[in-house]
Amino acid sequence: MRKFHLLVINEWVKMVKKRSFVVPYLILLLFPQLLGYIIHSVSPGSFASAAGFTREMLLPTGMGQVMTILSIIGTAGIVAKEHSRGTIKFLLIRARSRTAILASKYVTVLLYVLSLTAVAAAGILLSGMIWFQTGGGDTGIADILLALLYGCIYSFVYVTLAFMLGVLTHSTGVAIGLSMFLLTIDKMVISRSFYKYFLFPNLDLSVYGSGQQPPMPGMTLGFSIAVLAVYMTVFLLAGFLVFRRRDVA
Amino acid sequence: MERTSVNQLQSDAAGDLPVLQMKSVTKMIKGKAIVNQLSFEIRKGEIVGLLGPNGAGKTTAIRLMTGLIRMTEGDVLVHGHSIRHDFRQAIAHIGAIIENPEFYSHMSGLDNLKQYVRMSDGIAESRIAEVVELVGLQNAMDKKVKAYSLGMRQRLGIAQALLHSPKLLILDEPTNGLDPAGIREMREYMRKIAEVEGISILISSHMLGEIEQICHQAVVIQNGTLVKVTRLGAQDSTENEVSLSVRVDNLAAAAAVIQAEEGVRLTGTDEQHSELIISLHDRKVPELVASFSAAKVGLYRITEHKQSLEDDFLKWTGGNRIA
Ligand SMILES: Nc1ncnc2c1ncn2[C@@H]1O[C@H](COP(=O)(O)OP(=O)(O)O)[C@@H](O)[C@H]1O
Ligand SMILES: [Mg+2]
Repeated sequence: MRKFHLLVINEWVKMVKKRSFVVPYLILLLFPQLLGYIIHSVSPGSFASAAGFTREMLLPTGMGQVMTILSIIGTAGIVAKEHSRGTIKFLLIRARSRTAILASKYVTVLLYVLSLTAVAAAGILLSGMIWFQTGGGDTGIADILLALLYGCIYSFVYVTLAFMLGVLTHSTGVAIGLSMFLLTIDKMVISRSFYKYFLFPNLDLSVYGSGQQPPMPGMTLGFSIAVLAVYMTVFLLAGFLVFRRRDVA
Repeated sequence: MERTSVNQLQSDAAGDLPVLQMKSVTKMIKGKAIVNQLSFEIRKGEIVGLLGPNGAGKTTAIRLMTGLIRMTEGDVLVHGHSIRHDFRQAIAHIGAIIENPEFYSHMSGLDNLKQYVRMSDGIAESRIAEVVELVGLQNAMDKKVKAYSLGMRQRLGIAQALLHSPKLLILDEPTNGLDPAGIREMREYMRKIAEVEGISILISSHMLGEIEQICHQAVVIQNGTLVKVTRLGAQDSTENEVSLSVRVDNLAAAAAVIQAEEGVRLTGTDEQHSELIISLHDRKVPELVASFSAAKVGLYRITEHKQSLEDDFLKWTGGNRIA
């Protein structure tokens, strides 16, 4: 693991050199401006302050979802494409363990999500300051940071799922398609008590805010964090075990 | 201190180790042995041809050597290190192109090579320029790989494989898809690389003729099984049995001389060209010529009879032509 960062640099370079690399960043920068304009023109009183707008938009129910979609599209192919293009052969015949190579890819995926989040936050904040009042309201910096964290966690879970699907199926299409499908149905609620152990109702940690009802009886912030941790561990274990052992044709 | 001295001892001992040892390697896929109990060795500085018809298991054997797939039985030792149990030590001595050389086509040749520099320890800055010059790609380094011809990609593949100064270069059908001029050029590169870098090379091919001239040794496989290991061409020492074709004025008289000569075997007769095919030790050749003169047999030509391996090879490969 001595020169692990060099592997991460490699992965990052491969992503940056794509011509489409800036597109998601531009979307996350510009889309909030449009959204702010529309909300401002339709109902100017929706948000008390720029901070309130920012907090609301960052959540998995707002731009957080767009951010997640872009993250999935940007990273689902990070393993599958090496297989489909045949570049995996040159990658795996180096004096590096398969674990280190896959880990460097996963770290790169997380960094990518963080970078998208940072740009999205900047775009949203800018839009908020343009279209809503800078001062006032009761939303503070802590609320914004918390919303940022929840938005990130939501994205992390999904990119981890897509990452595992890419390793297991070697198909970028399946990885994007399946995780996007799950993304569109994850707000669905099945009112049976076993459903709280599913991934979906635990994805949005912002529901545990002050004075809100939990999505289902018996659920708490701690419970949801534990469920998410278990799912993430399973996704990663499956991905790493398969990647380490599988024959590369 | 103790560590270094132990390492030194090991590397001294490694001096006469074969660069590659295939030890009864078997690969079963769905109950079928794709590679079956395959054993052979590659020594320092040797160019070895891995020959066999399409589907013989050449690529699979190479995937096994490079750890891309797991073997069912056996082991591969690279410079004494097991690819199964000591992968990183073993693979560090190998540079390879397996099937087609595939690069990140949206990046330049230089950016592609830099990827592999970052993946190996201790490659000097100057090494990229060195290998690029060796394969003659100096003017293409800033071009994106998608603009490269197949020949250029092959050469970039070789550059990629040589970056970390391996002890063994493995090339899987490097002449595939190249025109005759490209194939000749490729052979020249091989010879030059073996000389400049002082390394062993394993070249797989389904065309014996294309690589025969540069190989010291041929390993022929079919259906995943070893058929034959033969020394080839220039490396023949006087210790070796050679096959010669001799054109004479009188076949019967010549045959009688050969019969009388110890250690010379008559393996064939070509009446149309008035030639005899004989097999003997190199050092017996002058004696035989003297005996011919003594018996007043007129000698028109003595040429090396190289057909035998090629004939065999065609026989093995011919059956699979349709595939
Ligand atoms: N993953 C696999 N699953 C099933 N059969 C395979 C697999 N890989 C190779 N084979 C079979 O093994 C044989 C040898 O293939 P290969 O090593 O590519 O031959 P060569 O490189 O000598 O042309 C072929 O018949 C091929 O169909
Ligand atoms: Mg092949």
